Amino acid sequence: MTASNTLPDAGNAGPAGTAPSQPGKPRPPRFRRTSREGYRINWWLTALMLVASLTILVPLYFTVAMALKSPDQIGTGTGLAWPNPLNWENFAKAYVATNFPKAFLSTALVTIFSVLGALASSSLVAYAIARNWNRRFFRGSFVYLLSAMFIPFPVIILPLIKQTALLGLDNPAGVAFLHILGGISFNTLLYIAFVRAIPVELEESARMDGATTWQVFFKIILPLLAPMNATVGIFAFLGSWNDFLLPQMIIADPALQTLPVVQMLFQGEFNTDYSLAFASYLMAMAPTLVVYILAQRWVLSGVMRGAVK
Amino acid sequence: MNAAVPAALLSRRSLIRAAGLAGAAALIPLTGCTAAGGPRNGITTLRFMQNKPEVVAYFNQVIKDFEALNPDIHVVQDFNEGNFVPSLVRNDPPDVVTRGFATETAEFVRKGIFADLSDLPVAKTVDPKFQDLVNSWGQYKGHETSALPFSVAAAGVIYNRDLFAAHGVAVPTTWDAFVAACETFKAAGITPIYGTFKDAWTLRQGAFDYVTGGMLDVGAFFKDLMAKGARISQQAPESFSNHYASSLPKILQLASFSQNGAASKNYADGNAAFAKGQAAMYLQGPWALSQLVQANQDIQLGTFPLPVTNNPEETKVRVNVDMALSITRNTPNRAAAERFLNYLLEPSVVNTYNEKNAAFSPLINAPADSNPHLSGVAAHVGEGRYYQGAGTYFPPSIPMNNYIQSFIYNKNGEQFLSTVDAEWRRVAERTAV
Repeated sequence: MTASNTLPDAGNAGPAGTAPSQPGKPRPPRFRRTSREGYRINWWLTALMLVASLTILVPLYFTVAMALKSPDQIGTGTGLAWPNPLNWENFAKAYVATNFPKAFLSTALVTIFSVLGALASSSLVAYAIARNWNRRFFRGSFVYLLSAMFIPFPVIILPLIKQTALLGLDNPAGVAFLHILGGISFNTLLYIAFVRAIPVELEESARMDGATTWQVFFKIILPLLAPMNATVGIFAFLGSWNDFLLPQMIIADPALQTLPVVQMLFQGEFNTDYSLAFASYLMAMAPTLVVYILAQRWVLSGVMRGAVK
Repeated sequence: MNAAVPAALLSRRSLIRAAGLAGAAALIPLTGCTAAGGPRNGITTLRFMQNKPEVVAYFNQVIKDFEALNPDIHVVQDFNEGNFVPSLVRNDPPDVVTRGFATETAEFVRKGIFADLSDLPVAKTVDPKFQDLVNSWGQYKGHETSALPFSVAAAGVIYNRDLFAAHGVAVPTTWDAFVAACETFKAAGITPIYGTFKDAWTLRQGAFDYVTGGMLDVGAFFKDLMAKGARISQQAPESFSNHYASSLPKILQLASFSQNGAASKNYADGNAAFAKGQAAMYLQGPWALSQLVQANQDIQLGTFPLPVTNNPEETKVRVNVDMALSITRNTPNRAAAERFLNYLLEPSVVNTYNEKNAAFSPLINAPADSNPHLSGVAAHVGEGRYYQGAGTYFPPSIPMNNYIQSFIYNKNGEQFLSTVDAEWRRVAERTAV
């Protein structure tokens, strides 16, 4: 245990309150608990965070509750009530109606290739630009890439549809390609800031040992980019998994359509099948939630590492 | 941190490698699928794009039956209507299309996107008065039949039969009787009409379309207006200011019978509240019926056309062609597409669809609609006493819903009409050919 927690813990919970700690007396563990690193817990901030977390938890609660309601339970009450009885068959119905496995596979493939492509392309571009900053061509190409961020997407959607059709990319592969392309400017921006902070001396020592440029990149730079890889990967994952407009417009064959578009099934012009829609949304959300929970630590550590440097 | 690098490197590299292998393996079936299209093994694949996601299951069954009878045709259903324009851009439109027929679809007709269907034998089975609803939007080259109606929806006043009976109110057939009915409910502490002003389209579809359609000859008005083209002005005899002023007080009167706080209620709120019996009447079309019944299975509903004058003979009902069938002009599978369209217009398919979806079949000799929810409007539809809502004639570039909404709030009719005139002229000038 850490040094600050040396006093014997007698187990008698002290009175609640903000009484200052007195030396020699056992501290009430609940209010003076310290974390492993020795930080004090800031209860005001924690309370604030708890309130802030409601902005996620309340909609999530509604999603789960709605997904388990039958149609006649939806119109009644305030909507806050937990459904009784639970209608698990909503999930089965939504699964069948959306042809879930097929749409899921299509979305997953688009997402996997988008994420891998985003990581590979942007980190390479960023490395090349950051290490050749003194050359006019590389500085210019950085500005060129950045300028893509200022073009609103709806302006280029029709030409893109035409191009993808000509190139035989009016399918999920084309969507993945466009996701990589669309993300390259923002991701490069993130990477370049990070690559610049990596001392050139690390590379020089590798070169002294006879490493080629590719080896330097894959053995020195890419591992050091880990936190930024996680950040870019998560952005790419979320953007690709949740994208609606691009698959809707680009994918010609309805059998290859992705989940967000297929889920439109539950929303007619005047009719919404709320319970099936939410059951389906929940199933589509599951991978996002899992990835976010798993990858959260990397993102946070990435933010902190970047901050220290 | 430095110590963590090699371990992280190892795990990440193996991770990426594994993901790459899995991805490459998974890509094989994907590329196999994308090669689909065109006749294969003597089977023609048709793409059928339809505009109502809620009836996908019905059409899946129809397609199954059709394929059993026609083993050489395979039909793929697509409800992603947002992909229609992109499919035109990539010059690969679906073979058979259904669309709601209004301004936007008329635009496609004018550009010759759809094939001429007038020679199809099945075109003769469609009641000419319903075909006129489609043709009134303009015909390609002046004579082509670009779409055949499949489903016609009639919208009126949905009413709660139990509340009407409990307060001894009969279905009104004149404007005065309607106002009296509203006063009766008001006096009894019941909201006469449930208002959902937050969703501006409900004001356009309800109060605006019903009153203008019931008082004026909307179809003729817009015909004149469009003939005038870009030369329209506010002073012109064809203008909105000249025709619509008389209808505005009644629109405001209708709105005044709504509950307090209607401005903060949307369509979904309205369905939930009306299903619970919180109001006697609801200005919505048949599309709301399924939502109302879903929320309250015991509710007794009916629909009557809003009487806007004091002559019951003049009462008309608002209709719209909810689904119209077309074949795209450049389809390579014309013959197969015609066979599928013929099948869709067989009485068993089209009549069953409309019976199930609280709509009217456009076929000659279609069985009388027995849906009790629609009993009050069936006669009007059968006799052709109907109009297409004035609001549906506006192109999307005129935010008509919002203009109507602000008119309901500020009650300034003169300003409303002059704005609409100016907007119509603006669009007419820019789109004039």
